Amino acid sequence: MARYLTTRVLYGVVTIALVILLTFMIQYMLPGDPARTIAGPRASEEVLAAVRERLHLNDPLALQLWHYYSSVFTGDLGESYTRHRPVLDLILERLPATALLAVTALAVEMILGASLGLWEALRPTRSWALAATNVALLSIPPFALGFLLLLAFGYLVPIFPVDGGTGFSHLVLPALTLGVLGAPYYANVVRDGMKDALASSFTRTAVAKGLSRRYVVSRHVVRNALPPSITMLGMDVAIMFSGVVFVEAIFGWPGIGALQTEAFADVDRPVLTGTVIVAAVLVVLGNLAADVIRAFIDPRAKVGAL
Amino acid sequence: MNAPSGAPSATAGGPATAAPRVIGSDVVVSDLSISYGSYCAVRDVGFEIKAGTTMALVGESGSGKSTIALAASRLLPRGTTIDSGSICVNGRDVVRMQGNELREMRGDTVAYLAQDALAALNPVVRIGRQVSEIYSVRGGDRKAVAEAKAIAALAQVNINDPERVVRMYPHQLSGGMRQRVMIAMALAFEPALLIADEPTTALDVTVQAEILQLIVDLQARNGLTCLWITHDMSVVAEMADSVTVLYGGRMLESSDVYSMFDTPRQPYTRKLLDCFASGRSAKPKEAFSAIPGSPSAHSTTTGCPFASRCDRADDVCVSETPRSVELAPDHWVACHHPLDIETEDDVKTPALAASRGGQS
Repeated sequence: MARYLTTRVLYGVVTIALVILLTFMIQYMLPGDPARTIAGPRASEEVLAAVRERLHLNDPLALQLWHYYSSVFTGDLGESYTRHRPVLDLILERLPATALLAVTALAVEMILGASLGLWEALRPTRSWALAATNVALLSIPPFALGFLLLLAFGYLVPIFPVDGGTGFSHLVLPALTLGVLGAPYYANVVRDGMKDALASSFTRTAVAKGLSRRYVVSRHVVRNALPPSITMLGMDVAIMFSGVVFVEAIFGWPGIGALQTEAFADVDRPVLTGTVIVAAVLVVLGNLAADVIRAFIDPRAKVGAL
Repeated sequence: MNAPSGAPSATAGGPATAAPRVIGSDVVVSDLSISYGSYCAVRDVGFEIKAGTTMALVGESGSGKSTIALAASRLLPRGTTIDSGSICVNGRDVVRMQGNELREMRGDTVAYLAQDALAALNPVVRIGRQVSEIYSVRGGDRKAVAEAKAIAALAQVNINDPERVVRMYPHQLSGGMRQRVMIAMALAFEPALLIADEPTTALDVTVQAEILQLIVDLQARNGLTCLWITHDMSVVAEMADSVTVLYGGRMLESSDVYSMFDTPRQPYTRKLLDCFASGRSAKPKEAFSAIPGSPSAHSTTTGCPFASRCDRADDVCVSETPRSVELAPDHWVACHHPLDIETEDDVKTPALAASRGGQS
């Protein structure tokens, strides 16, 4: 287990390092002069030179990269061009709201998806429910469903507030938007996993032992059907981060997604790259957690037998 | 709840009696027909196994032998139906069982030993749990008692250090060990019938011999009735008391193992034994004997299923299904042109006596 964990953590660190390199390159290649953005259009040459000096913009590329890595790894993500505050503070301020939204959405999609998938798998014949859900939900872009829910339950039947607060009632619509759209993925993975496990030889062995169907399903089938869903949950962290950008903007939910949208409009590079790096770290952590849970469920994962 | 008389600990301390114990029962299969949707996999098959003996069910892939095995343990996959016939074990018809009676029959009356033990064991559950749940969940024993019984059951099938093995997962065991675990689970409740669906094909030869010996020993100890599914005539020669030959879902020949090997009456059986004999005696670079052609994809509704590949076949074989006839005592043959013992004396196969080590 220790060795398995060590390699997983190492993979994670390498991934994050690569993401940081990527964000650095993108910053370097973006058009426009960062010094000009910070100092403003009417700043004098002296001021611009001073800003460039402070940001190490005159150093050789390799040295700049070194500065960048050393500051990022010590938790310094730079300072916002427009808000003149440390980027890390801005992100940490917004993180709880996004985390609340993401966790609620994950819960919604897992409960909806797993129930639909289990129900479908345990039926003797295929039903239309999952197929219809797939067609309906997988073809809707997140922002479209967001606007639809906003229109329906925010204006036409105003059950939920749309004024951009952070209360529970404000959470419902954005969480539903993300959760409902993610549910069919889980439903399909759970259904397929259950079907495979139900048709497997070990399930037949369990039935041949004279155990009840309920016991066979809960103790033998479900545990074998779980790992793909756990893997997906880990990857879902990344999907959530792309999803919140739209959804937070639509519903005025003050999280990292909204921060990203604002930074994009302001061409606030440190904030943009900062959110990307934080998102990368969270995605890596999510996958790491999924790997660890999977290893606990399936002993073969540790030895790479899967 | 049915009393778990099959606890291994209970068998050890019994007084030595003159008569050998027989936990097995007579098994009577009659007129069995099974279909997958519109495809008929087994048609009008019938045979009898005497208590405490082993019958080998022999045939090529697709002959319906595994389907019969699954039907007798009522483990047929969804979409498969037993159209007619009965399988009587312990005097009760397994085919008609439902609900609790069916659940209690499994493991208690009929046990099933699968081909690939790695696939047949749950990969994410420890061995100890997989064995002990039979005693705890099924038999109603307390956890500690069930665990002790599981260890005893593993010791019964010659697993060394069962206390360590119960903590392991299937992928950590060797192929032979996994099949021993399967045997321990199958025999937990001393079933009246053990169905072995080619349990040694996935094993290498030395391990296969060990497993076969283990089952022979267990059978000698407690008089198990065995239905052994195989395509391997050398396993038949070693294990079986009687043989039933299947082809295309129909029974072609059924008799005790000696008259089957000495005087096969169905041309197909003869060819099958020729393959076996040539495999045993073949010198390097000498051609193996093979049966030309291949089984037809759909079992024919009329005529002999082997007719298209049989060199004795004529018009009658194609147009009329041969009925099963008792040509010699307890030697049933379904053939319009059975081989004649008198004129074909050379049929005798010395291989059986050889492989049984002169035991006859």
